[in-house]
Amino acid sequence: KRRRVRSEPRDIEDRLESLITRVGEKSTSSLESNLEGLAGVLEADLPSYRSKILRILSDCVTRMPEKTTIYTTLVGLLNARNYNFGGEFVELLVKNFKEYLKNCQFDEARSTLRFLADLVNCNVISIGSLMNLIESMVEVTQEDSIPQVRSDWFVYAVLSCLPWVGRELYEKKDIELDGLMRKIETYVSKRQKVHHSALRVWQSDIPHPQEEYLDCLWAQIVKLQGDKWIERHIIRPYLAFDGVLCEALQHNIPQLTIPPHHDECTYPFPFVVFRFFDYTDCPEGPILPGAHSIERFLIEEHLHRIIDQNYEDRKACAGALLSFPGKHKLPIEYMITEVIFSQLFTLPVPKYLEIFHGSLILELCRVQPSTMPQALAQAVEMLYDRLDTMNVDCIDRFASWFAYHLNNFQFRWSWDDWKPAANLDPLHPKTKFMQNALQKCLRLSYQQRLVELLPEELSHVIPKLPTPYYKYSSEGAGSLPGTMVAHQLASAIKEKCTPEEALLLIKDLPNPLHDDDVEPTHNPLKIEVFVQTLLNLASKSFSHCFAAIAKFHYVFRMLASSEEAQICILRSMFELWKNHQQMMCVFIDKLLKTQILECSAVANWVFSKEMAPEFTKGYVWEILHLTIKKMIRHVEKMQTELSEARVRLQKAEEDDEDSGDDSDKDIPTEEMIERKEERYDTAQSDLKNLFLIIFQRFIMILTEHIAQCEAEGKNFKNFWFKWTTGRLLSVFFQHHEQVFKYIGTLESLLFTSDIDQNILSIFQQFCALKS
Amino acid sequence: PLFSAGSRAEQEKLLKLSSTLYIGNLSFYTTEEQIYELFSRCGDVKRVVMGLDRFKKNPMWFFVLYYSRKDAENAMRYVNGTRLDDRIIRTDWDAGFIEGRQ
Repeated sequence: KRRRVRSEPRDIEDRLESLITRVGEKSTSSLESNLEGLAGVLEADLPSYRSKILRILSDCVTRMPEKTTIYTTLVGLLNARNYNFGGEFVELLVKNFKEYLKNCQFDEARSTLRFLADLVNCNVISIGSLMNLIESMVEVTQEDSIPQVRSDWFVYAVLSCLPWVGRELYEKKDIELDGLMRKIETYVSKRQKVHHSALRVWQSDIPHPQEEYLDCLWAQIVKLQGDKWIERHIIRPYLAFDGVLCEALQHNIPQLTIPPHHDECTYPFPFVVFRFFDYTDCPEGPILPGAHSIERFLIEEHLHRIIDQNYEDRKACAGALLSFPGKHKLPIEYMITEVIFSQLFTLPVPKYLEIFHGSLILELCRVQPSTMPQALAQAVEMLYDRLDTMNVDCIDRFASWFAYHLNNFQFRWSWDDWKPAANLDPLHPKTKFMQNALQKCLRLSYQQRLVELLPEELSHVIPKLPTPYYKYSSEGAGSLPGTMVAHQLASAIKEKCTPEEALLLIKDLPNPLHDDDVEPTHNPLKIEVFVQTLLNLASKSFSHCFAAIAKFHYVFRMLASSEEAQICILRSMFELWKNHQQMMCVFIDKLLKTQILECSAVANWVFSKEMAPEFTKGYVWEILHLTIKKMIRHVEKMQTELSEARVRLQKAEEDDEDSGDDSDKDIPTEEMIERKEERYDTAQSDLKNLFLIIFQRFIMILTEHIAQCEAEGKNFKNFWFKWTTGRLLSVFFQHHEQVFKYIGTLESLLFTSDIDQNILSIFQQFCALKS
Repeated sequence: PLFSAGSRAEQEKLLKLSSTLYIGNLSFYTTEEQIYELFSRCGDVKRVVMGLDRFKKNPMWFFVLYYSRKDAENAMRYVNGTRLDDRIIRTDWDAGFIEGRQ
């Protein structure tokens, strides 16, 4: 009995939460009657569960912004019944709003502002006090020496709440609204847009302009203004309760000071609105809202929200997207497709794992097999047609997704449509895209399957058989230096020799670098014979290769004594596995993890002369990025170890003062912490150095290229230039969090005003993400 | 599927901490390389272990070991139920691969 009494309030609280969070979901009765019923229940529970109800409702504001109007109506009904409760809730919202701004939780702040705005429609908040609030937000544009991203956000937040409350402002505060619009117009027209170019998926505006996000929203709002602030997407349940709500008394939002800018504030990056469909692309169904109609903005924002809520469950996500409210009046498959690709192609980096988008698309095709695949196929055709000016990173993501998708559909595709690409330049984005995609298909499948599926005309983009090329068994190998030793080594390895025995076998190989004056740091012939022989014997599978590295780790260590020697290892490996890109990637990954290779050696090898023919191939960049990520993870690990040790020491010292108990054996000494500090510092400077090497090499080859083209009287802006500058931008973008830490150094050391403007501008565009 | 010892509660605790997945329902011809390629899309793969049928020497199952739990969770979310070599992959948590246990 006692237990029941104790658990009862908890039960009621859970029930309240479930009732509130689920209102608006599919139901047998109407939304209006559900809301009215719920308002009754909540009113009855207010005396005992007031704070709980306040908390649940305020959570709904930020966690379910797609249901804003449902909850504003509910709050409106409660306010009409209980004025004090309405007042308390508004007070809580305003307090939260200030906190969100202070803590740079800008998404939450934007949802809260929208909620406050819509409460005007429900007669909970006075229109004058809302106008004051948004006017004070637009005032931020007048602040001195703040980054543009700050004022951008405030203007964006205000503009994006206008679809909800614009009509009401137009009817009751038209003069103020006009003034506000003029202020915003002035601001929008004066903004810097250096970032725009770098963030575009396509450089071309044909067939669809790729607009800067604030410019686009501004155009949509101006059009809404032209339509007398009437939009056709937002469901407004409060309209049914006009009689009840107009009786209610309103509250005022108190005057609020916007928290000032400080150096720790991080604002959202600007972005470019992804566009590739218009109404002519979906001729059979309902009409697609135009690019500047507010409905396009509202529906897309809503679809993004659904993804944000469900990204951990692809089935639920697909279900929620396909049961979009009002979908019968929209070509929803097209809008969903566009939103998913806009997320996959987001720059600088996508918000979610790339494979999430791929698996979501599979799910959509499974649930809606009559319409989704068609919209998708159309999208792929368009993406393919527009490869010419596509961002290089986006081309990679497209190829990688496409291979993954085909893998789930038996690699069936209307390949014949792409035959015309047979005559294109080998560096043309279409050729490169196909090569890249088919390389990924090969990794998920096998070569013969691709040969059978693709038309003859496209045979030049099909990857070669990924077999090793062992030069010591090729024709004429007898005359190569080291062949004899290579064969001896091969039999020794087959007979399970020890690492020491292997070293002994290659000990006497002559050094081609030998010079009478200086003793060379390494012997390239030794490295070549050992690496190629071992890897050739272990080429059967990844497991064989990893086992070989593990067994002969000692030999690798002995040979990899300098950076030059490490580059030699990479060269020997490349010669053997030239046609097995995936093997090269995992081999290098393993050698980095086992600390045989240093990251800087890999970076220098990528930019070396021998790799020049491979430079535009996707796998080279896969290798460079995995190397950078490895280094970043290492720094993070050193940092965690250091801070954990510091905490342990501090805790031990405190305990000591309390009790004098020294039972914990893991207490680090000051000395140990100092060593950890040193290791962390070294790791940090290694990482910085790695980036400096990479950027310096980029600047060097790009400068050389420009100079050489100019000397030959050719246009330097060719395909090679496009790929290389694209790769430079993607190093900035993929590791933007790290690179932003070195902005000062990069500016004063590498990206100085005396380098070519075409190179410098990439750096400047990157910097504009935060300025 | 390869639990050898330990109480049920202990096993459940291990499963909650595990970053190892058991991969089943694959074709006989699926290779380690293909598993690597697909599962690397969810994070850094530490190891792929192939289980061989004792008599025919065909691969029967795989274990994929990730460095981090988070990556393994993503593989459960996004790879489970999709295809490789035209067969629908089944992934499941494993309490952690131990050498020689099978």
